[in-house]
Amino acid sequence: MGFLSKIAVRSPWLYRINAGSCNGCDVELATTAFIPRFDVERLGCKYCGSPRHADIVFITGPLTLRVKDQALRVWNEIPEPKITIAVGVCPVSGGVFRGGHSIEGPVDRYIPVDINVPGCPPRPQAIMEGVILARELWLRRLEKLEAGGGERRAALS
Amino acid sequence: MQESGVYITLAGWAIFHLLVFPGGLFALGIGLFLKGADRKLEARLQRRVGPPLYQPFLDLIKLSGKEAMIPASAQRLLFRIAPLLGFTGMAVCAALLPVPGVYAGLPDMGDMLVYFYLLPLPAVALILAGSSSSSPFGALGFSREMTVMFAYEIPLLLVILAVALHVGGGRGAEFSLGRIVEHQLEHGQLGFNWELIPAFLAYLFFLPGTMGVPPFDIPEAETEIIEGPLLEYSGAALAFFQMAGAIKTVVVLGFGVALFFPGTLPGGPLVNILWFLGKCLALMFLTMTLVKAATGRFRVDQAFAFYLRYPTALAAVSLILVLARL
Ligand code: SF4
Repeated sequence: MGFLSKIAVRSPWLYRINAGSCNGCDVELATTAFIPRFDVERLGCKYCGSPRHADIVFITGPLTLRVKDQALRVWNEIPEPKITIAVGVCPVSGGVFRGGHSIEGPVDRYIPVDINVPGCPPRPQAIMEGVILARELWLRRLEKLEAGGGERRAALS
Repeated sequence: MQESGVYITLAGWAIFHLLVFPGGLFALGIGLFLKGADRKLEARLQRRVGPPLYQPFLDLIKLSGKEAMIPASAQRLLFRIAPLLGFTGMAVCAALLPVPGVYAGLPDMGDMLVYFYLLPLPAVALILAGSSSSSPFGALGFSREMTVMFAYEIPLLLVILAVALHVGGGRGAEFSLGRIVEHQLEHGQLGFNWELIPAFLAYLFFLPGTMGVPPFDIPEAETEIIEGPLLEYSGAALAFFQMAGAIKTVVVLGFGVALFFPGTLPGGPLVNILWFLGKCLALMFLTMTLVKAATGRFRVDQAFAFYLRYPTALAAVSLILVLARL
């Protein structure tokens, strides 16, 4: 079974949640995917439209009051095991929006963030490194899950 | 006693054709390979590196280990049956598919009209999935799927009629796929016959529509209606949709090869399997990969009008030419 986990992590599907980002980070995420120089598809990644298909989820933006409930709801719809990557400094600290009246962040008050990719916006290379780190973390989780047996959700948290 | 033995052997062969060759494992393997080649070629066209060729296999293994969620408000039974429906329909289609020079199809069963009924099954599965998932995007997706489906089925029917009447000669129509292949191996391939070249072009137009690749990926448009009917599927159920899609690729490409270019090479079955694969790959590159890499997406009314205009006209031209010669 360990063999199957090693195969599974070579097919990470990505999903983006925009939690009030200024769109700078989202543009960088698109750059990472579609520009020949960076191309995350070489890691087997694919951007998917539905949160139900996702394995790795990117969260951008400082989590504004307006999108908080929706963002949390979408995040909860992603099937386990999932890895959460916070992209940009906004999810970490609020970034340039820090202290704003409508900022509910940082994101990890509500969502267990696994990996931070800081930068405003981060470079595509950094995002790719985040994806590679996420794959390693995912593999460790799958192995833990196998060792743990039945308690899926418990073993994952 | 002897008769029952014959039936048992026949049943055994039928199961073999359904599960191993050319349906089941063979079709699935080739289909996944074609899908991988499609992604790789598209990436190379855009000067990217692209995923490895075997990426669809990895995706399937990954999906089988994921949590399968069912929305609380979904029609549970339909929601579960829909992926199986598309998959079984395609597996049966693949079992009837002749691989020229290797496998002649089942002469009394491999009928083009059977294909005409079975080919829409994955689309019907999507329609069921969309309507049972209780998601507004699913509902949008399924209404789009129905519209596009009606549009691309019409040229397909005309193509089938043109080929059947041509092969039947003056004696009526010949619908058996096995005999159509035989006829072409004796009298030359239909893809080189000027009467049927318009029909072949119409079939080329039909391919991207039925496979739902851009510019005809309207029902599953992931940027507007977030994958439509597939939105709520996850885990193993999604894997079944992927497998159905992979087998459907082989079926529609193989159907085109059998109708228009079933020529064989001298040499053993292995050479001919590779030759078949090569033809499928070429057809796929031409009608799916190139088109996908170069185009955006039609609106649903544009796609509808497109199919009712050009492919239908081309197929009708062929049909008239064939009828005029009878
Ligand atoms: S980190 Fe910078 S680029 Fe990214 S969303 Fe925040 S402000 Fe915009």
